[in-house]
This record gives sequence, structure tokens and C-alpha cells, in this order.
Amino acid sequence: MWRVSPAGDRALLITIGTVIDPALLGQVLALDRALQDKRPRGLLSTVPAYASLLCHYDASVTDAARLEESIRQLEGKVEHSIPSGTIVDIPTRYDGPDLPEVALKTNLTPAGVIEQHAGREYLVYCVGFAPGFTYCGALPAEIAVPRLASPRLRVPAGSIGIAGRQTGIYAVESPGGWNLIGRTTLRLFDPKDDPPARFKPGDRLRFIPIP
Amino acid sequence: MIELVAGGRWTTIQDRGRPGLERYGIPPGGAADWFAARVANELVGNQPDAALVECTSIGPTLRFDNEAIVAVTGGQVASIADWGAFRVARGSSLAVGAIAPGLRAYVAIRGGIDVRVVLGSRSFCQRGGFGGGFGRPLATGDRLPIGQLVAHEPVLAPWPPSHRLPLRGPWEVRVIAGPQAAAFASDALERLTATACRVTPEIDRMGLRLETPGLRLQSEEILTVPITTGAIQVTPSGGLIILHVDHQTTGGYPIIATVINADLPLVAQARPGDTVRFRFVHMQEATRAWRRMSGWLELDL
Repeated sequence: MWRVSPAGDRALLITIGTVIDPALLGQVLALDRALQDKRPRGLLSTVPAYASLLCHYDASVTDAARLEESIRQLEGKVEHSIPSGTIVDIPTRYDGPDLPEVALKTNLTPAGVIEQHAGREYLVYCVGFAPGFTYCGALPAEIAVPRLASPRLRVPAGSIGIAGRQTGIYAVESPGGWNLIGRTTLRLFDPKDDPPARFKPGDRLRFIPIP
Repeated sequence: MIELVAGGRWTTIQDRGRPGLERYGIPPGGAADWFAARVANELVGNQPDAALVECTSIGPTLRFDNEAIVAVTGGQVASIADWGAFRVARGSSLAVGAIAPGLRAYVAIRGGIDVRVVLGSRSFCQRGGFGGGFGRPLATGDRLPIGQLVAHEPVLAPWPPSHRLPLRGPWEVRVIAGPQAAAFASDALERLTATACRVTPEIDRMGLRLETPGLRLQSEEILTVPITTGAIQVTPSGGLIILHVDHQTTGGYPIIATVINADLPLVAQARPGDTVRFRFVHMQEATRAWRRMSGWLELDL
């Protein structure tokens, strides 16, 4: 059962699940596509993330109750599948400042951490927080470590971090609390590009170690 | 052109922002006090999407190469007849200076500021380091071109005080229950609205951190969800963050309540040390309040 709740007086949040699961993301993306086809009156834009979809609406054209009704009509009817886009390789230099600390916390060598992180396939669950920031999962449990106790004020663009069962790429310089293990020179956000972000939820990627 | 002879504390170009790009991690942005900005454009006869100058705490000094029609709205500025359009002579300067009460003032110039449009807006986006003409806040020496986004003649009468919002605290800010209100104890909203919250010095266009003396709301971290302007996050340390126009587009702290659109301008004018009390309302009242303010903008003066 979808949970539909007001997120302020101009948006509805549809919560499909509360855990990281490719099947839930598949449902979110299917709902997103269905809404783009259906175009309910007053719906302005949507924001997908993990297991939920935010729907911004024009309060001068529709209201929360009417929009919820037309979203509910799709419940149980959207075709969904586990996302399977082409896999994009991310050339990664594993020289992040937190790599030694992550190795210590996980009883691995730095090379062991890299071996766990690199090579495998990740699913993009969300682009959010800051412009282009790419949330991916699931990180192997062997290298799952908590966020830093005190976030850095500046994390350079291209930094690759890990936190819990997630790994992510900082697309622009921003503050951040993830453990930085590497970096890429691949540009993930450019306001001149259309779309401006390199990845979208449902894409797949792989980190490839480079010297 | 207009030249900044003095930059001010945190001066940026803003318009109505770029809502709809949150899926790329881009905040909606735009003028923090949407109502004051909208009135400023209305007074000088601009189209609603014309870009203007958002001033914070201490405004800039602007020198005009040519004669211009200008209006200043929002927080109070000492030396300028605010909330009314006036003429600035060619070669003369306009010193905005200290803003109080209130925190943000808007300087609209007839025609709008014509910096380059990036992703559908002229607004400066701090998180992305783009927009606003220079990809940064304005600084002394910057020169701003004037555009042609006019819609009608300037409004001659000053904006009526009856159709403005309060400029000083204690603030009563209306909220509706947040999307994750159920993550908290059943009396949490009640306890929140019974608390006099205090605005800390940590305030900017991304968010305002509030202290909640005597109130500690417990909650777990949640799976990352998309968030909206006005969302009130409860942080692990127990304090609150009201997310503002340049907010992070997703977050992992539960949202207990959301400030209604009609009261977001109050949040934009709150200063460190001010008291904020939240009042819980239903969706109908939120919509009514917003309609009322929209009605003010249709005023035929």
C-alpha cells in the first residue's frame, strides 16, 4: 500500500517502501513514467529517490486530495521491473583521505577495501542532496562503515565516498560526511548539459581502479 | 548598467528560481522572501520573473549609469522610502546599508537584471556555483546589465502596509504535519507547537538552525527521501533545521512538519536570537492563506 502524505502545501510524497531494494526503485521509476504519461492536472514535476516519489503541484489548479486520487488510480497497475540500464565505468583513483581509516575499521588492508568496492556493479538509487550527487548501492557489508562523526566543510568534486551500505560520488564541491576513499575526473554535473546530471536513478555503474 | 560600489554582506541575483530540477539535485532557489520580491517587481512594472538584487543584513551601494525606476521591499532599509517605486537619476548612487527589522531586502530595477539565464533562471545557486551572473555572490566592482522584462507602467502609490507581512519576531509560523510525522511520538507535534524555538546564527538560504530549549524530539534516521522548501528536520542532536529555498533536495532526517508557502517569507526575515513559535494548521488554512496573499498581488493601485 502506497503512503501518500502532504510535503507542505504544494507537494505530495508517495512512499512505496522504507528500505534499499532494486524492486522498490523499479516501482518508483514505473510510477514516475506513468505520471509523465498520464499528466494529472496541476502536476508540475516529480523527484524520485530510493523508494519514494515527490510530486510538486500547482495549488491554484489542483489540490492534495484531487492529485492523490489520480495517483491512487495507478496503484497496482504500473508495470515495473528491476532497472537494468547499460553499465557505465567510472575510472577511479583510490587515494581518498579516509581509505586507511576505513581499512582499520573493517579489518582489511587498503587494497582489500578497494577490492571490495571496485569491479562490482552498483545501481543508482537517487541523484540528490547537492547538484549531481549520485547515490549508489548496495555496498558490500564487509566495508560498510558509519558516516564521519563530524562532516567536512569542503569535499572536492569527483570525490567518491562510502557510508553504511551506500557509495556515492560528489559531483560538485560541497560539505559532506561520507568516508572518502577515491576520486574520479569524470564530470558528473554541468549546468550547460541537458540533462545537467550525468546519472539518473535506475542507471548502473562500476568503479574501475586506475593508477 | 549598474555598478556595485560596495558589495554588501551577501548580495545575490535572484528571480523565481528553477523549480522542477530537483531530480538533478538542484534546489528550487529563487528569492528567499518570494512575496517581497514579487511586490518589488510589481511596483516597478516588471514581469514576475524579472531578476532582482537580494540583499542580506547589509545591502550594497549601487551606482546607476542611466536613469532608472527602482523599488526596495522586504526588510526595512533606513534611508530609502521602501515598498514604493522611485526614480534614480543618471550617475547617482543608491546605498541600501543596514537592514532591520527583517534580514533581507529586495532591489528591483525596471526592466530586471539581465544576467545570463542558466537552467531556466538567473538565480545564483550556491550549491552548484552557477547562475546569478557570476556563479558567486555579487562583489564590489561587478557591473549588472538591465533588461527589458517590463509588463506595465510603474505603480505610483506605495504598497499598502495592510498588505505586507510582519518584519519582526516573535514569529508565528504556520505548519502542516510533515510527511514523516508518524516517525515521532504521537504528542511530538503538540510539544513542538508549545515550544518557543530560538533562531541560531546558523542561518542562510539553505536552512535555518533553531534551538528548542526544553524540547527533545526523538526519532530514527530514515531512508533518504526527497524534501521540500519549508520542511522541518529534526537532527540527532535534537535541534531543528527549517530547510529554505536553496535546500538539499533529499535528506535522511525525518520531517516532522512543513512551513506553509504563505509563511515562508517570515522565515526569510527571521534573525538570530528571534523567537519562532509554530502553529499547526490544516491544508485548507494553508491554501486560504496563500490565496489571500496572491489576491494582494492582484491589487489595482
